[in-house]
Amino acid sequence: MQKSTIQFLLINCFLAIVLVSCGSVTKNYTPKKLEKTAVEVPYFSEPKTDYVYKTNITVYGHEMSGIFIAKKINDTTHRVVFTTEFGNKLFDFEISDTTFKVNSIVSELDKKILINTLKEDFRLLLKKEYLIQEQFENESDNIYKSADGNRDNYLFVSKKEQKLEKLVRSSKTKEKITITFTLENDIFAKKVVILHQNIKLRIELNYLKSE
Amino acid sequence: MTDAEIASFKQDVNVVAKKIKTLSTDFVQYKHMDFLSKDIETSGKMIFKEPNLLQWQYKKPYNYSIVFKNGKILINDEGKKSAVDIGNSKIFGRINKLIVGSVSGNMFDDKEFAISYFKSKGQNIAKFIPKDATLKKYIKQIELTFDKEEATVVQVKLLESSEDYTRIVLKNKVINAKIDDSVFTN
Repeated sequence: MQKSTIQFLLINCFLAIVLVSCGSVTKNYTPKKLEKTAVEVPYFSEPKTDYVYKTNITVYGHEMSGIFIAKKINDTTHRVVFTTEFGNKLFDFEISDTTFKVNSIVSELDKKILINTLKEDFRLLLKKEYLIQEQFENESDNIYKSADGNRDNYLFVSKKEQKLEKLVRSSKTKEKITITFTLENDIFAKKVVILHQNIKLRIELNYLKSE
Repeated sequence: MTDAEIASFKQDVNVVAKKIKTLSTDFVQYKHMDFLSKDIETSGKMIFKEPNLLQWQYKKPYNYSIVFKNGKILINDEGKKSAVDIGNSKIFGRINKLIVGSVSGNMFDDKEFAISYFKSKGQNIAKFIPKDATLKKYIKQIELTFDKEEATVVQVKLLESSEDYTRIVLKNKVINAKIDDSVFTN
């Protein structure tokens, strides 16, 4: 009985130490009074626009390139297609906040773990509106926290430009995915980088300017 | 086309294709997908030298070049270079044959494709449906459009499905100009 109590205490102490040492992802930010309840992300939301990007993917040291195409096909859903430079389709998805459909995928990429990773990334990238529960700030940005199941999304809006420039998806203790936007104008990103912290995956999108 | 027209058309194309030692051509590629407002347009240059040196080079709106050479695929993506060694793989031979065949027109291989022939004003069209199951997964049909007079390919259309295809228009074709092997480096 006594032995198990000591064990229990030891485990608790250990957990407490781990939690304290990991801290929270917001530890470097100052809490602030909530100024708004939602943040809009306009970069992929215009139904008339074909969002076409030359894309480089680095996954565990392997390089892959192609063309990323996203288009809003109705109020809730985007079509997302990735092709080679030659035009062959590598995958073709339909994705919304709550639904996901694989229209096609080449057998080499048809792996559940990969599809789930891409689904999470694209959902994050294409989401039009994030509902906000908490607000923080650091020197350069207002930081809005949006809860999403067992994950939290942090939206970094620059104080100077009032533009969403970074989106961080994290667990309670660790950053998992960072998306950075380099803007062409208020509603269009000329460069997007999706960086994973827990796996070696980096996706870089550069807007394909038509002549 | 009648059987006689098909025979004569194939012969014309083969005569021209057999003479090809080198070939260079400009191209414009239109990627059509049904859900997009407009086609994605890219363009560049393609160079071929017998027996199997091939460079496919995009210049607009980005620089991306791919060279097929001695069982290797060399890629130069905006200055970032990489190489894939594919040895004597069948796929390599196939891709090479397919691209060169598409551009020269000489791919009348009844074992590989079910072929049908059509004519229109000033042009002949051959449609190739792959028989191989693996190839068929990627390409539903290849459509080559020939200039009637010159018996050379002016357009390649690769159909992925009924709605989505890649259309490549060839122009400024130069046959048998001197091309140095050093061109095929990346």
